[in-house]
Amino acid sequence: MATVTQACSPTSRSEPLRARVAFREVSKRFPGVAALRNVSFEVAAGSCHALVGENGAGKSTLGRILAGLHRPDEGSVVLDGRVCRFSSPGDAQRYGVGLVHQELSYCPNLTVAENLCLGSLPRRGVWLDRAAMKARARRFLEMVGATCDADDELGSLPNGQIQLAQIASVLAAGARVLVLDEPTSSLSLAEARRLEELVGQLRRQGTTFLYVSHRMEEIFRVCDTVTVLRDGQHAATRPLAATTPDELVRLMIGRPLTAYFPTHAERQPGRERLRVESASSPGRFSEVSFSVRAGEVLGVAGLVGSGRSEVAQALFGMDSRMSGRVFVDGEPVSIRGPQQALSLGIGLVTEDRKRLGIVPQMTCGENLTLSALDCPGGRGFWARAARCPWCPRRPECLRLWDWLRLGQERSWIRDYFARLRVRAASPDVPIATLSGGNQQKIVLAKCLARRCRVLVLDEPTRGVDVGAKAEIHRLIDELAADGQAVMMISSELPEVLHLSTRILVMRRGRVAGVMGRTEATQEKLMQLMAGRVGETPQDLALSPVVGDGAQSAGEGASAETSHAN
Amino acid sequence: MPTEPGNVSPTGVTPPQPGARRRFKETGLLGVVVALGLLLSVFGGSMQIRDRGAGEPRTVNKFLRADNLDKLAKNTSFFAIMAVGATLVIIAGGIDLSVGSIYCLAAVCGAMFLHRFGPQGAGAGASPAWVIPAAILLCLGVGTSCGLLNGLGVVLLRVHPFVITLGTMAIYRGIAFVMTRAQAYTHFPEQFTDGLIRYEVGANLYPVPMTLMVAVTVLAALYLKLTVTGRHIFAVGGNEEAARYSGLPVERVKLKVYAFSGLMAGVAATIMLGYYGAASSDAGKGYELDVIAAAVIGGASLSGGRGSALGALLGALIIQTIGNGIIILEIDQNYSQIIIGAVIVVAVVLDRVNTVLRDRRLANAARLEPGIDPRTPI
Repeated sequence: MATVTQACSPTSRSEPLRARVAFREVSKRFPGVAALRNVSFEVAAGSCHALVGENGAGKSTLGRILAGLHRPDEGSVVLDGRVCRFSSPGDAQRYGVGLVHQELSYCPNLTVAENLCLGSLPRRGVWLDRAAMKARARRFLEMVGATCDADDELGSLPNGQIQLAQIASVLAAGARVLVLDEPTSSLSLAEARRLEELVGQLRRQGTTFLYVSHRMEEIFRVCDTVTVLRDGQHAATRPLAATTPDELVRLMIGRPLTAYFPTHAERQPGRERLRVESASSPGRFSEVSFSVRAGEVLGVAGLVGSGRSEVAQALFGMDSRMSGRVFVDGEPVSIRGPQQALSLGIGLVTEDRKRLGIVPQMTCGENLTLSALDCPGGRGFWARAARCPWCPRRPECLRLWDWLRLGQERSWIRDYFARLRVRAASPDVPIATLSGGNQQKIVLAKCLARRCRVLVLDEPTRGVDVGAKAEIHRLIDELAADGQAVMMISSELPEVLHLSTRILVMRRGRVAGVMGRTEATQEKLMQLMAGRVGETPQDLALSPVVGDGAQSAGEGASAETSHAN
Repeated sequence: MPTEPGNVSPTGVTPPQPGARRRFKETGLLGVVVALGLLLSVFGGSMQIRDRGAGEPRTVNKFLRADNLDKLAKNTSFFAIMAVGATLVIIAGGIDLSVGSIYCLAAVCGAMFLHRFGPQGAGAGASPAWVIPAAILLCLGVGTSCGLLNGLGVVLLRVHPFVITLGTMAIYRGIAFVMTRAQAYTHFPEQFTDGLIRYEVGANLYPVPMTLMVAVTVLAALYLKLTVTGRHIFAVGGNEEAARYSGLPVERVKLKVYAFSGLMAGVAATIMLGYYGAASSDAGKGYELDVIAAAVIGGASLSGGRGSALGALLGALIIQTIGNGIIILEIDQNYSQIIIGAVIVVAVVLDRVNTVLRDRRLANAARLEPGIDPRTPI
């Protein structure tokens, strides 16, 4: 094992040995972003060290570096006094570092036992030793308190059990340092409590934890020390006993509110464009009600997994299980797919631009007009075919029967490029060659070209550099001033605070509150998002959240009964 | 944005560069054409002097002689027409393995019909004025229906097209086999064979298959570039999910391309019937691979979103020219498969390299762009 002997080398003797893990001036850059800059701190042996910060502050990157998924550009990771350079997760595993991912990662087609022993399957000769594998799996499943059987197919289990099985598999690989990246984000309340107990139990047996989380109450229950990251830099490390949630929030936000936001254009909210009444979708969100008016930006804040994007997807007809009522311009509608949503004038800019937003092989111009090629004159093949050349909506149409009107298309593209200030060598270069910001502008233009009057923007500035971000902010402001109804989902609180007319906060699939622009502050939003009980300020215009506790308790109960056997 | 033209400031317009796109679309094809020219010149160089004709000795180029070129064009036409169909399917992100079998089934149906109303059939004496159009419609109809069935299987059953068309490949050929009881059908009305498809100009020159091939290719190329459906085909193959989120009728687009592929197999079958005047259930065995190879050599990307009709034609031409060259150069026939296989791999690798280089160039250009644009006050 040459790689292993090279992976870690002893440092000077003066290294204090009580620190199990130490980060030394760790820096990591990704294309276009500096994810981490000179981060240094230590994690004491047997402690549970919380790592907090805003989205994009670098928490997950740091966890991944420790687990060998990324290599730091500069600086080093010191494990038990030895400088380590892990080149793969397997490498890190041999040194007792295990990672449990934010997104659950496993082979859903294999059984629990197979997943658990995947790294080192027990063998008898060339054959797999099934009995030994199962015995080992059972031992570790019992250790973490999972109720599933070693023979269950992993993909068929509830999230909580999968999460536990994953921890079991990391422990089975001999981990003494565990990185838990947002371990409770996909768990029900009862499952999360079970996990917290397990962390406590394992700590008593000497395991060290690096606990990445957004949830304040959880951190204060589970952890003993906390490190705050802000914009990829180390902001503070404190014992949790000596700090308060408010201080942590302050440390996380930290920076002065940047000046690049546009001056809020005068908006006169017009009539109601979109209204959603008690929309629910099992397992995603429940009893969500809100409305968006023309000329206003409804900001939607919430933690990852709070159901924000799921609501957006459902509005776009991508959730067949959604119940509840949706009104567009006062008319009740039922949206069965993107085609219908678009013809109702609802446009969605998805958070996953690469997968759902663009066709990478096509040119910028072709991507821009992709949604706009439909006939605006409505349905009915023969009626359409007969009247197409004499259609009154000719000027807003890009086709003559099935033929493209290329000249018209070109002039549209030119207009939108100018209006949105898209920077590309030409509309005829493949969209994949553009920067993220310009791609995003084209995705936005795609909705506008389709004459959408309700824009649902899901993380409109994700993966966009600072300059383009400011332009997109200005664009959103202009669109609202133009009379568009905009619903903007964002994890960046400053963005939400500066652009929104009203702010809707979601937590665990429910509306936690609605605030006007003037009364909202980062602290208040954070509190609502993270759900600090009993500290909700009086002046918040809270929409009813009755039944939240009851629902969670019910969830917990059902989860428990379902795993009882 | 014609609804609100007042908002548009024409000052910020990026000047359109019409040349950029043409170059981008045709670099792949250019490589194919160059390769083709190279092959032709190699064959042209290996000129052989032979005696030919009745009595008088003449010297002709073995490759460039008229009847050889005609034969090459005829052989190419079957594959090229089907390759154009396959290209549409491949652009849309699918694959059609059943073209050879559809070709066979359409040919067999047409052959049985023509045989029945031919000089030796039960319906002899029927007016060719309706028999011939009916036979052609039958071939095209059978082809389109088979393609449509493939499409329905892919769309409704949500099974990977490879699996669906692998199954229908066997099914369609099986149906042809059962229908014909493994007999060959001949004796078609002369008005169909010699009068139409084998229409002869000069000595041993039959221009109809080649003309149809060119016509089909040009129509398909226009369809892909100038129609809404053509644009949709590229979008569905490029990123199906994004196409769905853009409100495209993804399922209908898929149905259309499979039906079109079937239709093209029907066209090829019609030509084959007229040219050879016979069909059996063996027709078109193994064609699917040659057809897909032609499409791929022509620049179609099996991961979808890329390809062109003209490329498919050139791809088929390349394969046939190599086959022809092997005969002319009197290379051992046993090597032909190895050579053609190698050409496929080389063509695709070259295309790949070309794509990578182009992307790198464009990425560099795009990276330079933001810094030099003074028009955008932030």
